[in-house]
Amino acid sequence: MNDPQPLPRKVPDYMRKRGGLWYWTGAMVMIAFFYEAITGLILFLYYQPSNAYTSTEGVLNLAYGSVILTTHLYGAYIMIALVYIHLLRNLFVGAYKKPREMQWLTGIVLLVLTVAVSYFGYSLTGDVLSSDATDVARGIASGFPVIGSYLRSIFLGNGTDISLFTRFEGWHIIIAALIGITFAVHFFLAEYNTIMPEPNKVGYEVPAIDKEDETYKPWYPYNLLYMTQIGLFTLSLIFLIPSILGALPSVPALFSPFPQVSATSPLASQVPPYPPWFLLFIYKELDFGISATIGPFWATVLFTGLPLIYLLLIPYIDRSSTLKATKRPLMISTGIIGILYLVGLSVWGATSPGVPVSNVVGLLFFVVPLAVIIPLVYFISKKIESGKVRATNAWKIYVMISFSGFVSVLTGLTIYAAVRIGAIFYTTAAIFLLAVLGVSITTLYGTIYGIRKSEEPKRLSGKGYVIFGGIYGFLAIAIVSMISIIPPTTTLNQSLYGIGMGLLFLIASAYIAIYRSHEYNE
Amino acid sequence: MPEDEKPIDEQRRKFLKVVGVMIIGAGLAGTLRSVVQYVIPPTSNVESSFPTLLLLLPNGNPVHTSDLTVNNPSVVTFDYPLQNEPNFLLRLGDSTNNDVKIESTTVDIPATGGKYQSPAGVGPYGSVVSSSAICQHLGCIPPELRFHPPSATDFPGKIHCDCHGSTYDPYKGFSVVTGPTKAPLPGIVLSYDQTNDTYSATMLVGPTIYGRSSDLSGGNPISSAGTTVTTLGV
Repeated sequence: MNDPQPLPRKVPDYMRKRGGLWYWTGAMVMIAFFYEAITGLILFLYYQPSNAYTSTEGVLNLAYGSVILTTHLYGAYIMIALVYIHLLRNLFVGAYKKPREMQWLTGIVLLVLTVAVSYFGYSLTGDVLSSDATDVARGIASGFPVIGSYLRSIFLGNGTDISLFTRFEGWHIIIAALIGITFAVHFFLAEYNTIMPEPNKVGYEVPAIDKEDETYKPWYPYNLLYMTQIGLFTLSLIFLIPSILGALPSVPALFSPFPQVSATSPLASQVPPYPPWFLLFIYKELDFGISATIGPFWATVLFTGLPLIYLLLIPYIDRSSTLKATKRPLMISTGIIGILYLVGLSVWGATSPGVPVSNVVGLLFFVVPLAVIIPLVYFISKKIESGKVRATNAWKIYVMISFSGFVSVLTGLTIYAAVRIGAIFYTTAAIFLLAVLGVSITTLYGTIYGIRKSEEPKRLSGKGYVIFGGIYGFLAIAIVSMISIIPPTTTLNQSLYGIGMGLLFLIASAYIAIYRSHEYNE
Repeated sequence: MPEDEKPIDEQRRKFLKVVGVMIIGAGLAGTLRSVVQYVIPPTSNVESSFPTLLLLLPNGNPVHTSDLTVNNPSVVTFDYPLQNEPNFLLRLGDSTNNDVKIESTTVDIPATGGKYQSPAGVGPYGSVVSSSAICQHLGCIPPELRFHPPSATDFPGKIHCDCHGSTYDPYKGFSVVTGPTKAPLPGIVLSYDQTNDTYSATMLVGPTIYGRSSDLSGGNPISSAGTTVTTLGV
């Protein structure tokens, strides 16, 4: 271990350089979690378990209530997405290896807790998606051998609505508190074990410990400013995405920032019977032929429990001392397959919810990726190892390949939907996804073939700092004055306020980047 | 070509710091504005005017004069004008439990120096009166605030609050007898239907109910056409 250091530890400069966001996925999760805790608590000022749906809808009509409710929802969505990204990043880098096994295990616990807290949180609304998810949860919980009915009443109450929503409210807070505690353990383990250094700095061998030297700059102000910068960036995402979606005329139920129609309203029959998107994979797995045979509980154990156990065992399965991605083809390929299963099941669940799947198709769905990805990854790894393909950061390539694959699947589906349904949302989404795909393929190309970068990033001239700083400052003032004269009376106005706040956070984040560049040459 | 470390221009550094503070201020102003406005609960008049509510027994039948006991030591209350706003329902008598006719009197509000006419007693003997059962001092409710019959040893014929000792006189429009309260209990105007022998609450007079900005906002309306009388044995 490194010598005890004042907390938090100093970090090497390269982590704060351009592109360093990749090292801070955990910090971004933390910021999203804090945002969720604050907005969640003030949302409880108006929530009534006896009146779940009406009181949630009522929040939309409060001054700025719509902003708080929609950003709380999307803060959770972004937190879930970041948790998955953080997990996959550490899987591909090999951060689960000695001495970080406990960090990995607490991380997996945090994944489960995050999905659970999101389930309870979404269910608080009492809308049709929440009701569909509750029905499935009731089935899964009841199937637990021996104590099924106890589990059902512990988590879902005695069957009355008021008991159900009071339980949801309680468990939402309890699990959020558990996340806080587990996160503290996770964070202090990370401080104890030091940050995961770039693998090439430790010769790709475990234990990968970051050795502090005199070039490390103090935490304050260097890291504090950087943390503020990425925090504001995360906040701007949390504000911009739901506010833009909220200003659009129609958004599909799965991505709508607003609660859907009430589960008891006649309009509920027009919403496809699926749960919130992050639970779609559990929902679809129950459609397989085998799930009907063994029941929903054992199907969940099979399709969700087994992968979780695998995740928990990863540090003990892969005990080799190497951090090279090319020497861990099993972990890499199972990681990619995991992404494919998760995305595949979710998209499948969204497009054909509740449609039974025969055992043959189900088997093909699970076997084909296994049969394709594992040999492919072994093959590519061999090639890179033998020097036929040159790549310095193999794990980055694998991540980019799986990300681009994921985006291309989504893009294809969205273009299909745009042509078939013709809603403006799908057209916008398709254009956006095409842009993301373009960027990720370019990045992939750049990672493999190494786009020549100028040695030193270009710095602004002295006047440049003054001009850009001034523009940002006055833009911020202009935005604040603009959004403060918009009355928060309609949902659209509140979405405009949310967009304004998102832009303000983005500007503040960019301003800190400029300031750091000017003051510290970072 | 090694670039020499140029000293940072102090003027420029100051400018950037000022702009940075400005942006932080803008962000805080935008955030605080929304949070503060969100946290303040919306006030809406749940009723545009005082509802007229028939007084009902727990079994759903209307309250008749025979259901009311003269100088009843138990606390009989009903909610009016909104939910969770208890009011006394008293049938007043003398020390031998004969009905006493209650006249309308001028009641002082010591807190403001204002005056108002209290509603007269209703019913066949003019002896049934009603007032808010929320103490005007600090909001205590029955049984801490209760009517002591004229035969009682402590505070005979008065409404006394055990919390801080405020005393009101129900025979004189619920006016203040001793402090610390500085306002009388708001009177409920009852109407009596002679043909059916039923009672209805129609409006409030006097000060505003304790803890409310107005009698008709900040709560939930009583949705039915009647308000149920509850009896709290003491």
